[in-house]
Amino acid sequence: MSTVLRRSRKTPASRGEREPPPRGLLPDPPRPMQNPGLSRQQLREIHRFLCLNRLVEDRLSALYRQGQIHGGLYSSLGQEGISVGTAYALAPDDLLAPMIRNIGSLLVRGVAPLTLFLQFLARADAPTGGKDGTLHFDDLDKSIVGPISVLGTLIPVMTGAALAARMRGENRVALTYIGDGGTSTGDFHEGLNLAAVLNLPLILVVENNGYAYSTPTHRQFAVQSLAERGPAYGVASESIDGTDVLAVYAATRRAVERGRRGGGPTLLECRAFRRRGHAEHDDMRYVPKALLQAWEKRDPLDRLEGFLLHEGEATKKELRAAREEIGPALDEAARSALERPYPPPEETLRGVYHGTE
Amino acid sequence: MLARDRKSSARGPGAVAAPARPATGATGVPDDASLLKMLYSMKLTRAIETRIERKLYRQGKIVGGVYVGRGQEAISVGAAMHMRRGGGEDHDDIVSPSHRDMAVFLMQGVPPERILAQYMGRRTGLTRGRDGNMHMGDLRHRLVAFVSHLGDSIPVAAGCALTFRMRGTDQVSFCFFGEGATSRGDWHEGLNFAAVLKLPVVFICNNNQYAYSTHVSRQMKVERVSDRARGYGMPGESQDGNDVRVVYEAVGRAVARARRGEGPTLLEFVTFRMTGHSAHDDAGYVPKALFEEWERKDPIRLFEDDLKGRGLLDAGALQAMESRIEAELDEAVAWAESQPYPDPEECLIGVYHEQA
Repeated sequence: MSTVLRRSRKTPASRGEREPPPRGLLPDPPRPMQNPGLSRQQLREIHRFLCLNRLVEDRLSALYRQGQIHGGLYSSLGQEGISVGTAYALAPDDLLAPMIRNIGSLLVRGVAPLTLFLQFLARADAPTGGKDGTLHFDDLDKSIVGPISVLGTLIPVMTGAALAARMRGENRVALTYIGDGGTSTGDFHEGLNLAAVLNLPLILVVENNGYAYSTPTHRQFAVQSLAERGPAYGVASESIDGTDVLAVYAATRRAVERGRRGGGPTLLECRAFRRRGHAEHDDMRYVPKALLQAWEKRDPLDRLEGFLLHEGEATKKELRAAREEIGPALDEAARSALERPYPPPEETLRGVYHGTE
Repeated sequence: MLARDRKSSARGPGAVAAPARPATGATGVPDDASLLKMLYSMKLTRAIETRIERKLYRQGKIVGGVYVGRGQEAISVGAAMHMRRGGGEDHDDIVSPSHRDMAVFLMQGVPPERILAQYMGRRTGLTRGRDGNMHMGDLRHRLVAFVSHLGDSIPVAAGCALTFRMRGTDQVSFCFFGEGATSRGDWHEGLNFAAVLKLPVVFICNNNQYAYSTHVSRQMKVERVSDRARGYGMPGESQDGNDVRVVYEAVGRAVARARRGEGPTLLEFVTFRMTGHSAHDDAGYVPKALFEEWERKDPIRLFEDDLKGRGLLDAGALQAMESRIEAELDEAVAWAESQPYPDPEECLIGVYHEQA
């Protein structure tokens, strides 16, 4: 694929280069991708969302380096297939609660790139009005529940959302995300157990990206795969290649169908790798270079493009056109967001506490 | 591990059966003296709790709530037989009991009269009248004070085991809890931490089928608490909690693993809470048939019959044991009742660290 989409990153010299990678972090050999019954139009739409996800984050990264972003920036480079594949498998009124690496889920759900730029640039007309940054916002009209910074805490919230939907007689599933690190929190346990006991349609997507900040997974859990946690709660579980957006989509569809027919929650482990630091400021010198090299070859966008070409679903020219179409619109959105005002200081507390709207 | 009985899928009160008895373990059989000690400890526990719950509480002599382990004595006793004690800081095991593990206190060497003084809020109780009932501990007896918030003891027990690891000893941390506590986040965090670091903890679940009024079928979707073990990458076992010999053997295997440095084990002992959640609770929500069913499986009577069958016990010896316990308790109750309450001015002494 074109270098436009891939930013070259120098990995600093580190102790990581001399040491073998922590066990269990190299990718398993890839299995050939398969079309789970999607039309050409749908496949191309998924491709467009992957490109959009990556290019939005690219622009955000550039803005961060220019000092325009307020607060942290958490990249999903290499994990975009998880956000896009899961969100694409949902109906528009299914409840969706993204975490900080799920810009792709928001894009699929119809959040405009302009909205994202306004939010990250902390402008007055951003969803949180410049009071908070990153993806810390919701949009209940789009059935989007906002992330909670405290990792794991969103899970019981989404269990509750699924319960509310059932009590109202609505057949909606609730999907949320957690990282490998978040699975060690008590809230993960309480939320998943309650969903299991009440047989709620919760889909818990575990993005196993190898590191929780600097903690590798073998210091996080003593199982081979987090899908092994499923039977411990009596819930269905699967471990999927998170770099294969179509496999992610297909597994999420199975989970959605299970939830809708009253089959209870699903735990989906999607294995990928965090190819950037924990956040933009983190040089991740603790990650061995060999791991980054191995996972770069498993890029979800490259893989989908290879599949589309191989299957004759698109030509090189069409893929390039799809990517190039996005760039100018994003540049325009970023420029227009930068022109918007910050909130006036006297509005600092407005909307922060209930009743101050 | 036991094969699961998938046929009992329509779970509800009554559907949780004690697991079938497995093949005997590798850690040997207790000798005759140990068997008699186990019976004595179970009977002493039953007798002291009966006095507290059915006599002293009704006489208004107990301050605060009363939580007993009636019907569950085999679990605490069978486990406590494996606790190393009397050998000093780098030898003795450490124990985090639950509120239904009176036997552990007794077997770790806390005298019955001190426990009675504790329940009566006296100055010579373990908390010197500052707290009541099972909310007590005593590090001289290697007993970590029970934390009221169920589940909070689990990370504490894992932390104790971490100190053993850091000191390079082969001590073990024993950790008791009920099936209700397994739904708590702290429980998850503690078990996962112990599994990742392969810490020497023996996790012992008293599955007495009710967490206050919540039946275990509303607590978890899995059949057995031990099904959770796999999710942490640690071994798990479910066993009959009313057979003290089975408990003894299962705990013995887990302790041996822990001492060898092979990490934690999750043990579930299926039993039944033969009482309300606490003394004020009439347990009207528990079907009567369940009490009747589990009454027939009373761990003490089963063990007495077992020992009689082996020729280790006859009616005379049993009578003598019971008389000895009653006499001991008469004396203990009298002593506790003679003890003073703490002075009101002392209220805060020992409550915060700097005032101890």
